[in-house]
Amino acid sequence: MHGTIALLLALALSAAALAAQGSGGARLHGTVRDDQGAPIGHAQVGVRGTTLFTRTDASGRYRLAQVSTGTVHVRVDAVGYAGVDTVVAISADSASVDFQLRFSPLTLAPVSTVIEKLPHFGERPATSVAQVSERDLDRRAVNTVDEAVDHVPGIQFVNGQINIRGSTGYIQGLNSRVLLTVDGVPMNQGDRGGIDWDLLAVDEIESVDILKGAGSSLYGSAALGGVVNVTTRDVPNGWHSRLRFTGGVYADPPYAIWQFRGSPGLQGGADLSASYGNDVAGGRIALGDRHSDGYRQQDNDDHFHMAGKTRWEASPGVRVDISGAWAVNRYDVPLSWCKRGKCDDRGQVFQPFKIDTTERGARTDSRKGYIAAQIRSTLSPQFAWQARGSWLRTHFTDIRSTTEYGVGDRFGTEARIEAHPDSNRSVLVGGEVTFSRVASDIFGSHTQAELAAYGQSEQQMGNARVSGGARLDFLAVDGGSLTAVASPRIGVTIPTDGRGHDGGVWRASIGRGFRAPTIAERFVHTFALGFEVIPNPNLRPETAWSFEIGHTTGPLLRFLRLDAAFFWTEAHDLIEPALLTPSDTIQLQNVVRARLAGVDATIIGAPIPRLITTLGYTYLSTRRRLAGDSTTGPLAFRPRHLLTLGADYAVGDLDVGADFRFASRPERIELEGFVDPRRVPVKVLDLRAGWSRGPVEFRLLVANALNYIYNLVPETLAPVRTVTLTAVWAH
Amino acid sequence: MLRAVFRVGAVVVLIAGWVTACDGGLAPEPICARGLIGLCGTIHFRGSIPDSTDAVFVAAYLTFPQTCNDLINNRRPVIPGSVPYTDSAAAYSMALDPGTYHWVVAVWKKVGMLHVSPADTALLRVAGYYRNPADTSQPGVVTVPKGAAAGDVNFVAHLDSLRPATDFVTCTAQ
Repeated sequence: MHGTIALLLALALSAAALAAQGSGGARLHGTVRDDQGAPIGHAQVGVRGTTLFTRTDASGRYRLAQVSTGTVHVRVDAVGYAGVDTVVAISADSASVDFQLRFSPLTLAPVSTVIEKLPHFGERPATSVAQVSERDLDRRAVNTVDEAVDHVPGIQFVNGQINIRGSTGYIQGLNSRVLLTVDGVPMNQGDRGGIDWDLLAVDEIESVDILKGAGSSLYGSAALGGVVNVTTRDVPNGWHSRLRFTGGVYADPPYAIWQFRGSPGLQGGADLSASYGNDVAGGRIALGDRHSDGYRQQDNDDHFHMAGKTRWEASPGVRVDISGAWAVNRYDVPLSWCKRGKCDDRGQVFQPFKIDTTERGARTDSRKGYIAAQIRSTLSPQFAWQARGSWLRTHFTDIRSTTEYGVGDRFGTEARIEAHPDSNRSVLVGGEVTFSRVASDIFGSHTQAELAAYGQSEQQMGNARVSGGARLDFLAVDGGSLTAVASPRIGVTIPTDGRGHDGGVWRASIGRGFRAPTIAERFVHTFALGFEVIPNPNLRPETAWSFEIGHTTGPLLRFLRLDAAFFWTEAHDLIEPALLTPSDTIQLQNVVRARLAGVDATIIGAPIPRLITTLGYTYLSTRRRLAGDSTTGPLAFRPRHLLTLGADYAVGDLDVGADFRFASRPERIELEGFVDPRRVPVKVLDLRAGWSRGPVEFRLLVANALNYIYNLVPETLAPVRTVTLTAVWAH
Repeated sequence: MLRAVFRVGAVVVLIAGWVTACDGGLAPEPICARGLIGLCGTIHFRGSIPDSTDAVFVAAYLTFPQTCNDLINNRRPVIPGSVPYTDSAAAYSMALDPGTYHWVVAVWKKVGMLHVSPADTALLRVAGYYRNPADTSQPGVVTVPKGAAAGDVNFVAHLDSLRPATDFVTCTAQ
């Protein structure tokens, strides 16, 4: 902790020193608006082939420093608008240029500069990406990030664990094969490696970007299956405040024999945020509270959160961001549904809304928070550097028949240099140090250090854009010997027609990813399903080679766009639970060699004005092979078919929409024979409507409108129909 | 033309989604076997199992028995099968003729041979019975409908407070 505070101070002092030295170059500023004159927030504005890029604020304003005088090539992109590529002549210290973007629902979302660590200026990346924009988040009126990301084609949440093309499966929260970053800062837990999706209130989030496929060449451990970056709202100029109220009701069970309470369950919450900023500095604070009765027995959830963010533009081209959040949860834990005789079963083989009476009183108290500081200094259009320091703390207490607790700290620092030797080439080199410390009665007291160096370069070669890079990670547990893992990646994109950035493009990439065993996986010692779970300190890192080839078409017939990718992952040393005999204990082992292959396709259509439809389909074929055994079979918790359908129609101040998700029944689950194997396909329809005028907005969401009763993991009921009304006032 | 096809296709896809979602999902699954005509439920066991235990079975009576003869001769089924009694609860189901049953009882049996005579009561004890939900001091009444089963007939069997038949009926000879 002291080290992190020292690092944060060092970053602030660096910024002060850089502020004092000043900088050269001209300033380019102005606004980005649509063809009706309305400002476009969060648009990306950058000078092609340089380090210079920024995003517009909510008023559509942007500022770029360090711009060379003369003619520069400026690129502007925004979600839902056709990008603009233009040449601007700058002859003085300051120039003002306003941009107007044309509404274009088929235009692909710009690639996040955070998730790729480099600006892309309209070029498509070599690996599949997806984005949940602020508009998507608002429209869906969800309360947590995972609820919004769950609708992205190729992604499925299994009881809180994210699967990108089947990456993770379900391992009871003990790890994640997907890395979460918040504004580029890794946020997977220091002890279990999992993700706290409620760390940030959804009202604090501007967008979510998802990298599908191995991202370890830039991000290291946990990015084996992909990366999810959450971009928090920036601090705009002037005074701003935002108030959000939400209230809802859970449906009763659809069958009288499953009734478990006399009145419907309710949920509600409030979020408040306020910010002030000017051209030099700004700050924002937010807090909120939520309560939910839950949709089943013993399912109460109380949640409080607060967050803050400051920005300081110490001098033109130097920006310091400090952000943090703290969330407190106390929630009941319905560990498993009631099976015959384990509660008042009312003559039923199982009661999915009720719990086993022996699990009465199970709950978890959870506290988590982070603080992060980042500095970016653009020394010239060709050269910039960036550094960060962060501290993430998670603290849980599980209250069951026995009480278990764990405190995990994850400290992280990273520094990188970005260079653009010429307009067709970019180079990125960096280093990262992560230190995790755990104190727990089930994981013990341990530390894990990860040291890494990485480099990546992108080069225009004729019509193609080629990228290549590698990262070398060294891991040490409890100060022991180092384990080294190399993660190379190469990729290429090739435009297929002459429509520039709006045209079709082929992409291909191959990369190696890895995930270091978490401290929880190595040292957990507890009891589960009546078995003793014993530690395995000798676990090796999981590794995987991932290959992808994909194509994005240009607009077809003026109202369609297709993106399709074939992916193939060969994984080694996956960590999964194994039942040991004759000791009858469970231990996590590197037991599986696995293959995940499939096709991921998305069609976006705008068949009539104001109607946007999407269809996403993922076919996933998995195979596992136990070490030293020829037994094969599918990986657990991976549905073969995933389908998402969406439609949104807007007219005036009103908009309506619907989403449908289908996931086929998983062919295999873990520990079959020890748990209730009952499972069904997922068929969930969400309906929504919204009305907004000026600063006021109302949103109605009917999630799981058909009250389809299903489960994603054994003995755990998924959410029933929930009707939620959200009111937002923003000033 | 293609736009029209796309629109129709989109509508078809949405309707197909709607229709498929209306079907399936988890549904209630009664312990009573499908097609059963009789009654079923769950017995919750309390207390420790006596060493001399041979079986625990469920029996039903159309009228409350008054004598040991009634107890043996009016029992349905005449020769019941045992239910599992080593767990804390067990599901049971029994085929019965349609009618209204005034006593559904869990009977504990000691090791020994039964002869379907009043003398059997020496080997049998009442472990528990289905109770009237409105007045749990009284036996509950269960109606087996024609062609169907009565479910949710749940009750507790106390293995450490087994009661002799004479607590319930008059026995002139054993």
